[in-house]
Amino acid sequence: MSTTYTERVAGSALRDFVTDFAQVLSIATFFIICLVFFGTMSDVFLTPANLLNIVRQAAPILVVAVAMTMVITTAGIDLSVGSQVAFINALAAITISAGVPWPVAIVLMLAAGAMIGGVQGWFVSYQGIPAFIVTLAGLSIYRGAALLLTEGYSIPIRDADGFLWLGRGTLLGIPVPALIAVLVVIAGFVVMWRTPYGRQIIACGSNLEAARRVGMPARRVVNSVYVLTGVASALAALLLAARLGSGSSNAAQGFELQVIAGVVLGGTSLMGGKTSMIGTVLGTLTIAVIGNGLILMHVSPFFTQIVTGVIILLAIWMNTRLFTGTWKIGKGASNG
Amino acid sequence: MMATDTSIAPEGETSPSGGKPLMSLKGIRKTFGSHQALRGVDLDIFAGECVGLIGDNAAGKSTLSKIIAGTHIPDDGHMMLRDEPVRFQSPADARARHIEMVYQDLSLCDHIDVVGNLFLGREMTKGPFLDQDQMIKRAEEMLARLEIRIPRLTAKVEKLSGGQRQAIAIARAASFEPDILIMDEPTSALAVAEVEAVLGLINRVKERGVGVILVTHRMQDLFRVCDRIAVMYEGTKVAERRTQDTNLEELVDLIVGKGGH
Ligand SMILES: Nc1ncnc2c1ncn2[C@@H]1O[C@H](COP(=O)(O)OP(=O)(O)O)[C@@H](O)[C@H]1O
Ligand SMILES: [Mg+2]
Repeated sequence: MSTTYTERVAGSALRDFVTDFAQVLSIATFFIICLVFFGTMSDVFLTPANLLNIVRQAAPILVVAVAMTMVITTAGIDLSVGSQVAFINALAAITISAGVPWPVAIVLMLAAGAMIGGVQGWFVSYQGIPAFIVTLAGLSIYRGAALLLTEGYSIPIRDADGFLWLGRGTLLGIPVPALIAVLVVIAGFVVMWRTPYGRQIIACGSNLEAARRVGMPARRVVNSVYVLTGVASALAALLLAARLGSGSSNAAQGFELQVIAGVVLGGTSLMGGKTSMIGTVLGTLTIAVIGNGLILMHVSPFFTQIVTGVIILLAIWMNTRLFTGTWKIGKGASNG
Repeated sequence: MMATDTSIAPEGETSPSGGKPLMSLKGIRKTFGSHQALRGVDLDIFAGECVGLIGDNAAGKSTLSKIIAGTHIPDDGHMMLRDEPVRFQSPADARARHIEMVYQDLSLCDHIDVVGNLFLGREMTKGPFLDQDQMIKRAEEMLARLEIRIPRLTAKVEKLSGGQRQAIAIARAASFEPDILIMDEPTSALAVAEVEAVLGLINRVKERGVGVILVTHRMQDLFRVCDRIAVMYEGTKVAERRTQDTNLEELVDLIVGKGGH
């Protein structure tokens, strides 16, 4: 009797692709369902004007969500982004009102954001205080600082048309904030997909000790992602100030929750390591679309918040239960 | 406390051909909280030679290995690398001195693909970007040399079996021309053919002049690749034997602490 050895044939490339990108495919599906649903429920929804309005409004959230994706990938969290936006938003209005040329003000604001983020990151990374605690404190501190700066008043930005163009203008028919957001998204995607720095971020979130053992500057990397949320928050604050033409301590209420929901909806894991920049974009846009669509359907704005919350919960639940790991194409539902 | 040392004094004449050690540890101590993991350990590693490190669970084998790899900083003791005193502050320091380790926990990043793990911490780049194509090509060569077969190098490591993961950790440590290669229970999850490949690898790198430290529970492997065997017991090195001068029964007695009788 002879024994024959045969080798396994390689699985289909399509199946590999689907398993690798199950999460992104599912959020993409959900996003398209939302578009179709609101498109049929409202005549206005799919008009170019409304779609451009959605991206203009989503731009600041998208900018911060890109940086938040990196923070969450390191198994961290930044709850302070909304307060940072309010603080920088107010500070920008005050600075420009005081006569500082707006291009200079922009550079100063981005630097301030980097510094705020850097301090928070230092506490998280070098002092080992949980990110949740550090940034929860930040959430309180920067909102308070914004209130203190403005004394609760809205500060108008005058005689800075170039600055206001950043929030209100269009280039080739596309809102400037949306263009800026697209640039940030592309940069974020490329960094995470194909740069050593992106690789370090993922490694630190996946196995911090392993990253240290292979000689990566693990602490510095963890510190740096909070600098990025700081800078991104400052940019978002500038976009908001330019759109509204004023700075206010009440800006960006609930902003951090929208950002985090978008990131998590997109499939980036709060446990770290698992990341998806495309998912973040789709998740953020999905939430923006739901918010906009419900308003167009004349649902009460109070009800909108509830519906948004429930849909986020359901979508994330479906993502984790149905579409991860055990989900395989052609084999029906998972049994896990 | 060095009580066990006196009862079973390690024989002095265990170095091969009387050469100078590649690396030499003297009086290494390490305490975790109140727990003395290492209580004054001496160990020499020679080029082209494999030292087996054996002992019961919690004897301190992994702790000693990690100190050599720079992962732990010893509380006390001296380390010499080629006649030069060294103090590793981090694993990066040890890696820079060509010391590589296969960790018992493998130290892989589950969410990164096979190639990414093989090149973790020394990614190949083209301009500011990762050179994925080049890394895949090199990774295929690295794995082929060790007769490791992984169907898809772009699969995330979390999708792989225990043996495949272990194989990747070994390939990572062995492929970048180490001078000292430390392997902490590298074969525990491997299948027969893969164990053979690892033992073959150890013999091959020895010929190239690499000093190997092999921590293992598989006694039969010791006799196939090790030149010397050091036995650890409760944080001390209780004995050191040349492989040809000892046998299975003696080693087992030494491990369980009956060696003095
Ligand atoms: N990081 C650590 N913190 C606290 N105790 C540790 C740590 N690492 C090892 N130990 C303790 O040190 C002792 C030796 O452990 P180890 O070197 O892993 O043993 P072995 O590898 O020989 O099984 C054990 O009692 C273990 O609990
Ligand atoms: Mg061990």
